[in-house]
Amino acid sequence: MNSRKQWALKSGIALALAITGVIAQAEPLKANVIHWWTSGGESAAIRQFADAYNQAGGQWVDNAVAGADQARATAINRIVGGDPPTAAQFNTSKQFHDLIDQGLLNNVDTVATKENWAAIFPQSILESIKVNGHYYAAPVDIHMPAWFFYSKPVFAKAGIAGDPKSFDEFVGDLDKLKKAGVIPLALGGQPWQEKITFDAVFADVGGPDLYLKVYRDRDQNAVKSDAFKKVLASFKKLHDYVDAGSPGRNWNDATALVISGKAGVQIMGDWAKGEFSAAKQAPGKDFGCFPGFGPRSPYLVAGDVFVFPKTDNATAIKAQNLLATVMTSPQAQVAFSAKKGSIPIRPDVDVNQLDICAKEGIAIMKDKSRQLPNPEMLLSPDMQGALTDVITNFWNKNQSVDDAQKAFASALKG
Amino acid sequence: MGTLKSHALPPEMTASRRPVAARRGRPLRKRWSLAAWVALIPMMVTVVFAYLGTMLWTARVSLSNSRTFPSNDFVGFTQYVRLFHNDRWLVSLQHIAVYGVCFIVACLVIGMLLAIFIDQRVMAEGVLRTVFLYPYAMSFVATGLVWQWILNPELGAQSLLHKMGFTHARFDWIVDQDFVIYTIVIATVWQASGLVMAVMLAGLRGIDDELWKAARIDGIPRWRVYMSIVIPMLGPSVSTAFVLLFVAVVKLFDAVVAMTQGGPGTASEVPAKFIMDYLFGRANIGLASAASIVLLATVLAILAPFLYARSRSASRKEV
Amino acid sequence: MNTTLEPSARVSRQQHARRKRFSPSRLGIYSFLIIAALFFLLPLYVMLVTSVKPMDEIRLGNLLALPAHFTLQPWSDAWQSACTGLDCNGIRVGFWNSVRIVVPSTVFSIVIGAINGYALSFWRPRGAGVFFGVLLLGAFIPYQVMIYPMVRVLASVHLFSSLPGIVIIHTIFGMPVMTLLFRNYYAGIPLELFKAARIDGGGFWRIFFQLMLPMSLPIIVVAMILQVTNIWNDYLLGLVFAGTRNLPMTVQLNNIINTTTGEKIYNVNMAATILTSVVPLAVYFISGRWFVRGIASGAVKG
Repeated sequence: MNSRKQWALKSGIALALAITGVIAQAEPLKANVIHWWTSGGESAAIRQFADAYNQAGGQWVDNAVAGADQARATAINRIVGGDPPTAAQFNTSKQFHDLIDQGLLNNVDTVATKENWAAIFPQSILESIKVNGHYYAAPVDIHMPAWFFYSKPVFAKAGIAGDPKSFDEFVGDLDKLKKAGVIPLALGGQPWQEKITFDAVFADVGGPDLYLKVYRDRDQNAVKSDAFKKVLASFKKLHDYVDAGSPGRNWNDATALVISGKAGVQIMGDWAKGEFSAAKQAPGKDFGCFPGFGPRSPYLVAGDVFVFPKTDNATAIKAQNLLATVMTSPQAQVAFSAKKGSIPIRPDVDVNQLDICAKEGIAIMKDKSRQLPNPEMLLSPDMQGALTDVITNFWNKNQSVDDAQKAFASALKG
Repeated sequence: MGTLKSHALPPEMTASRRPVAARRGRPLRKRWSLAAWVALIPMMVTVVFAYLGTMLWTARVSLSNSRTFPSNDFVGFTQYVRLFHNDRWLVSLQHIAVYGVCFIVACLVIGMLLAIFIDQRVMAEGVLRTVFLYPYAMSFVATGLVWQWILNPELGAQSLLHKMGFTHARFDWIVDQDFVIYTIVIATVWQASGLVMAVMLAGLRGIDDELWKAARIDGIPRWRVYMSIVIPMLGPSVSTAFVLLFVAVVKLFDAVVAMTQGGPGTASEVPAKFIMDYLFGRANIGLASAASIVLLATVLAILAPFLYARSRSASRKEV
Repeated sequence: MNTTLEPSARVSRQQHARRKRFSPSRLGIYSFLIIAALFFLLPLYVMLVTSVKPMDEIRLGNLLALPAHFTLQPWSDAWQSACTGLDCNGIRVGFWNSVRIVVPSTVFSIVIGAINGYALSFWRPRGAGVFFGVLLLGAFIPYQVMIYPMVRVLASVHLFSSLPGIVIIHTIFGMPVMTLLFRNYYAGIPLELFKAARIDGGGFWRIFFQLMLPMSLPIIVVAMILQVTNIWNDYLLGLVFAGTRNLPMTVQLNNIINTTTGEKIYNVNMAATILTSVVPLAVYFISGRWFVRGIASGAVKG
């Protein structure tokens, strides 16, 4: 009896110790993350976040969905269906504002205050993520959708010395490329690519003031002005320098033209660097990059954020806060940007790992006056779509500049 | 099947003529009607909760100002007005009409021909059947890209013709505003004809061997047998194939996205893509719902006379 | 066919057969089929050739050219090491999930379609035609429009993000076409057969299982082709309704093929697409043995 009681007591103590030992060991904070970064380069990039998160005591469960629209739709449907992810990717835009209105997102104010986001992040990004005084998204990168990439051997062959300093000089370069027998401008004729090209011309030829008046203030007079007419005309002029096979072409096929020396220039976002490096071409050596014309050219700011669906589960909230902290931390930002081709969202990072195009972008970002928010940040997805329709019509049909101007004005009215 | 001509009226209709049988038959009729209704419960539940429910919900949303989520902000027919002032929507309707006619006719003809020819006891029938059916098995995201390459004037057919020496040959439909919709016809006919062939083949295989023997004895030439007897007997198969194709036409989306993204400009825009764009990308489910209702109403308008004629002849076997 | 023939008749039959094989009509048949086959095979050729070239060659843009450097690496990548997000494990990850979704979904949708078609065609309960009409109209709704309402419906019965949930969804979406297929097929079966069976004392289910179903083999094959292909190749419904543990292979396939701003590795994409389509193709090829003729003929005579 005695020994049995002793045995029971001992095993009871041992069991109690074991249980508390287990509880004392921290449970990894599981995070289901939906995003659309599925290609090789993008996967390597998001792995930086996942690794950093796992090291910080989390457990990253990946839910990648290719196609930005599908990924967002999946996230929204899962939230509505009662099986929300821990975090979901959106663009730095108004896409997630409806979710905020419906009360479907948690805010990350605690992280924002602790990490002092208001002091670190660029103004345009802060305006996108801070709604009604609360921070609802963690920004993770800055992409510039309108870089000019060109093939150095092709430029040399056409006798072009350096980066063009103005739009007219650019057109002159395109003429030289045409004479040299290559496709001057490699464009994939899809509506979103045409819109990017238009926005590049708009920012450079129209200037930041006109740009903001139109996209941010939706000023009808600005749209109906002669300056805007000039923007439209300059945009349409580029059509002479695009090849006949352009309509429908994927953006990577257009980059392939530049890579293989069949074309001179492509206007595309800095994610295009991934295609170049997949073809083992180096910036500065095999291809050149410049963000606009002249030393004061505007720098369009676009990017991606992660939002945090509403939940009252304490563990999930901890996981969300940890994610927000890790993804915006300096080390993770640099590691991510190096693989992604984007630039970090905070200026206080070590930029030596990044390529020269990114370094140039970071230097430009330090000058607040050159930053221009992407149209997505200023317009609802619906209006951005309507304007894209106007632009693609103008580009592909024989529409007069006046008619295009009228159509743009009417679409902007909403 | 060809030997049967009399179509007896269903028992319900004859019961009144035979009172004795009716007395015996009424409980019987109720019993077997009951079994049929029980068996149809899954269908009725689905129709009410899934389909009818969705149609009513969509109609409700189309009367509101909903963006990403359904809202209760009712605005009457504003979305419909906006819809019919939207150039993209209007051209998408034109395109789908042109596409629909070409696609359905081409698939029916090619599918029927393939089925008839394969039915001729050819060698390697299994291989041939798989060759014609495999396009249906493949995801159109990849095959659409391949067709885009083949039809691209600088990568595909036109450049091949140029290299072969026909320097003035032109096959750049895919970049041409007026002809791009026909390139979509080509690629989707490639994908769907095999399925039509399978449906027709199933019908052909259901035809009594006696018929062939009888025709051979009578000395009728084979092609005549086909034209006058077999093809009319394939009525149900053609009707099935027609509905399958019609559904595919209305839902046309993957092909357009993979091949042209609706371009050049909006020259190959189609209603399903319009709806998808506004549903997901542009976060305007109000407009997307209005477009869906208009599409559904159009389909109903086209199908209703067809279905009405069928139900009129319900006392005979439907063909 | 009668196998005991007079010797002279047998010889003349052989001669007739030989003559038949090379007659102009046979030649015409074969040439049509071969030309059609070439047209159908052209994209497959491009896909195969692209899938064994390195990306440098593909960037040059010669579609029909045979590879200068033949490589099977894209195939291996597609199966097991292509990146589909954070994980780089290719498409094989979701293979068994796809099977677990396809098998019950196909079986349920075909069975329910057959029962519906049978009930609608022979028994015709009053008013059932209206339900069928609405069902048929429902086939025309773009399925993306139905996703949000169905999410709400399934969530309310706690079946959202589950295997039963996705099976129900596939059955619902397949019901219109399956019902139509069987209803039209049974419409071609003589009513006399049915009435004879009723007179023999058959009830609803007995007639179905013992008479109609065995006669339906060709249309079951077509139904199987339709459903296996559609469900196997579906990814949006699986993505939304199946739950993260049951994601079908097509989600990985889509992640490989489709990227917004990432590099597109065309050779891997083509290899992955062909690999994914192997299952439906196998179904087509194997099901061929049931595409036999004369199933109804014996029943009619009897």
